[in-house]
Amino acid sequence: MMNLSSPFFHKAMPTNKVMMLVCVALIPGIITQVYFFGFGVIINLILCAVFAVSAEYTILKLRTREPRTSIQDNSALLTGLLLAVALPPTLPFWMTFVGVWFAIIFGKQLYGGLGYNPFNPAMVGYVLLLISFPVEMTAWLPARELAVSLPSFYESSQLIFFAQTADGLTVENFRQLADGFTMATPLDHLKTETTLGRMNSEIFANPDMALNLNGWKWVNLMFLLGGLYLLAIKIVRWHIPVAYLLAMIITSFLLNTYDNQLYAAPSFHLLTGATMLGAFFIATDPVSASTTPKGRLIYGALIGFLIVIIRTFGGYPDAIAFAVLLLNIAVPTIDHYTKPVIYGHKKETELHD
Amino acid sequence: MSKSIVKSVSSKSIVEQAKGSFHGGIHPAEFKNISNQQSIKDLPIAAQLVIPVKQQLGQTGEVVVNLGDRISRGQLLVKATGILSANIHSPADGIVTSLSPAYVGHPSGMKSAAITIKTDLEQSEGKIFEPIDWRNPSNLEEIQSRIRQAGIVGLGGATFPTHVKTSSREINTLIVNAMECEPFITCDDRMLKDIPKQVIEGAQIVANLVKAKNIIFATEDNKQLSIEKLSEAISKTTESIPMSIVVAPTKYPSGGEKQTIELVTGKQVPSGKIPASMGLLVQNVATLHAVFNAVVKGQPLYQRLVTITGNLVDRPGNYWIAFGTQITDLIEHFNVDVNDCEKVIIGGPLMGQSVTDFTAPVTKATNCLIFNKADKTEKAWLTQTTEHQPCIRCGECEKVCPADLLPQQLLWYSQSDQWENLQQQGILDCIECGACAYVCPSEIPLVQYYRYGKSSLKDIQRKNVIAEKAKKRFDFKEMRIQREKAERAAKHKKAAEARRQAALDKKNDSDGKQQAINDALARVKQKKASVGQAQGVAQTETDEKKES
Ligand code: SF4
Ligand code: SF4
Repeated sequence: MMNLSSPFFHKAMPTNKVMMLVCVALIPGIITQVYFFGFGVIINLILCAVFAVSAEYTILKLRTREPRTSIQDNSALLTGLLLAVALPPTLPFWMTFVGVWFAIIFGKQLYGGLGYNPFNPAMVGYVLLLISFPVEMTAWLPARELAVSLPSFYESSQLIFFAQTADGLTVENFRQLADGFTMATPLDHLKTETTLGRMNSEIFANPDMALNLNGWKWVNLMFLLGGLYLLAIKIVRWHIPVAYLLAMIITSFLLNTYDNQLYAAPSFHLLTGATMLGAFFIATDPVSASTTPKGRLIYGALIGFLIVIIRTFGGYPDAIAFAVLLLNIAVPTIDHYTKPVIYGHKKETELHD
Repeated sequence: MSKSIVKSVSSKSIVEQAKGSFHGGIHPAEFKNISNQQSIKDLPIAAQLVIPVKQQLGQTGEVVVNLGDRISRGQLLVKATGILSANIHSPADGIVTSLSPAYVGHPSGMKSAAITIKTDLEQSEGKIFEPIDWRNPSNLEEIQSRIRQAGIVGLGGATFPTHVKTSSREINTLIVNAMECEPFITCDDRMLKDIPKQVIEGAQIVANLVKAKNIIFATEDNKQLSIEKLSEAISKTTESIPMSIVVAPTKYPSGGEKQTIELVTGKQVPSGKIPASMGLLVQNVATLHAVFNAVVKGQPLYQRLVTITGNLVDRPGNYWIAFGTQITDLIEHFNVDVNDCEKVIIGGPLMGQSVTDFTAPVTKATNCLIFNKADKTEKAWLTQTTEHQPCIRCGECEKVCPADLLPQQLLWYSQSDQWENLQQQGILDCIECGACAYVCPSEIPLVQYYRYGKSSLKDIQRKNVIAEKAKKRFDFKEMRIQREKAERAAKHKKAAEARRQAALDKKNDSDGKQQAINDALARVKQKKASVGQAQGVAQTETDEKKES
């Protein structure tokens, strides 16, 4: 059909390309994750992508919509990938399936599809999994340098599909260190140890902790790199990530200054868990984020603040998903109170001559 | 480069940088070089002209010629009725061959009232007004009525009758809008290059009329040559009202009246107010030239400068074209290959409209005609509107909106028919510039949604007014009915009262009789008391009957 009504000019990157570029920006982070945590990451990515697209397709068919255009906007793919990089690399495949389908159906399509979902779909799926399968969802492998051995591609797929390898090894075996201890994620470890009354100086002095942290640090740095790329090509605007990271720094700095043995330093919070993934890829999901410039600052800052608070005082080790979903709820209110002043509605408008 | 120009002439302090800026804006490809290289030319009068009876904002005028009339160039065809209306004159000598409705370019394809003229081969000079000595202060009233007589309207595209704007006498500054920010259009630019003195004189006439103390030409820094020509002309002139040039960085839509004002003054026009409330009058270059023509040359507005451009035109440029000239004639004159031309854009690519029926004529609103082959590889052209992707609330639109609106929210409320919220979000402050749609990654035809939203809102407001009136009528009727009812009730009560009184009198009168009957009945009752219940019931029935 011909376009008969102005404007006849258009210059923008199409939405499907935007989504695709966000997927591309995940690559450095993904490669680093594979390096430190093994090939399970890749398998999860493939599974999530397939599950997400098939879920989208099925639902659209059920809603008697033409699935092609929606699939082609790449948003389902992106939801799948975002969930995949947040999952432990050896999560049983059927859990992944549940999470992805839940994300697409309940996080997105039931609200009317892309653009209408108040919540970040990937985080909806993540939280469902975290609440339903807390053990499996926190069963991260130790980072490469720390691990006795990382599962190979073959072993990873066996762990994912059959819960054990041909040699009878389970995820727990791979999580055990040389000294027989099981290594949790640094956030998890810190939480457990702090609860046991240990002081930060002790906890961080542990060489295992340092090695494990190193892996997480690199993963975070690479997601940061991808995020900076998105900033540079103007797909992501600076408001949310900057406010989010600044709020995290300030909150953790204040806590840390108050008691540096009880509360971790800003550098720890910034470079562990899903901090950078959250800052550039999750909190910035435009559909579920605040849409006014001021609102985006508030939205990002509150997420950053909540992450540190929940990590420090909450029951779960990481908090990106909870913080993001909580703020998703607040978006209409934030938007309402941060509307920009429309042209001609400002107070002082007299003309000097 | 633009900066150096500003500097080189700024020693004369005629040219200065804009002190204000407006929010958002876009930088579309300009395509101005296609048409701004050639100097202004005349286009010969076409054999037939189809002149729409309504060419401006406001009321339709009254047709004052008849079928078969022989008319001369400059003769009045349509007489203004009311304030918001404008005269229309014949651009040519000829004969009125039809007064039936014709297609005049309405997007819906609807036909409107039009005057069709078969033009003569030989055309006369056609001067009908006496020139006015506008420098003589006693002629101000005459100038004002001349602007009205000549049928001048805003030629920048808004077609607001100019005499309404020039009736103010409390203007400080006349701003000449020479921004011409939309791609392809170059008629104002070319006018300032070729005939700057006439434009300056037109500006002086208007400034003099509205008692403005100074004149500011507002333009963009991509029009270096016309800035040079203009400042040269200004520095040579002996006119009394001081003039200067303000140059803004090229950005669309700096030519919007509100944006121009913000650029020049750094102030915004308060919502619901007009620029005159700030002591400002904004006039477009072509409009001021039309004023010059009417006052100095005595020529009514029956033609205008039109940019003919696009990759299908063999001699692009700016031409004086008579109103009523049909696009079909232009297609022939400029050797446009119709097979490649699926539509013609009237105006610019961001705010213009398109026609596919090429019998549409040039009118007072036609500043530009684009004959362009829709090149699928050229990304700038939006070619399809079939199915857009959903809004992902990316906020790109908000970033470019010159009215500081949240276009994504406007879209949301238009789509869901939430008119009240739509109004609260400021839809009525949207200037339909199309910047939001230009950047939207989901290619949503946002402006179309807003037009729909605005017209629905107007409908509702109209309905509300009607409903309000209806309610008043209803309330009044209710009140009347109630009053009549009350009156009737009072009357009835009175009548009933009277009747009761009468009955009472009668009763007193017949009391003796009644007593006798009762006594007799009592006797019968006593007799029958022993007979049993059945009779008792019958007795009751009789009593009841009696009562009824
Ligand atoms: S630019 Fe388009 S997709 Fe982005 S928020 Fe605006 S309307 Fe939505
Ligand atoms: S069309 Fe309206 S909403 Fe869109 S950018 Fe222009 S003024 Fe803003």
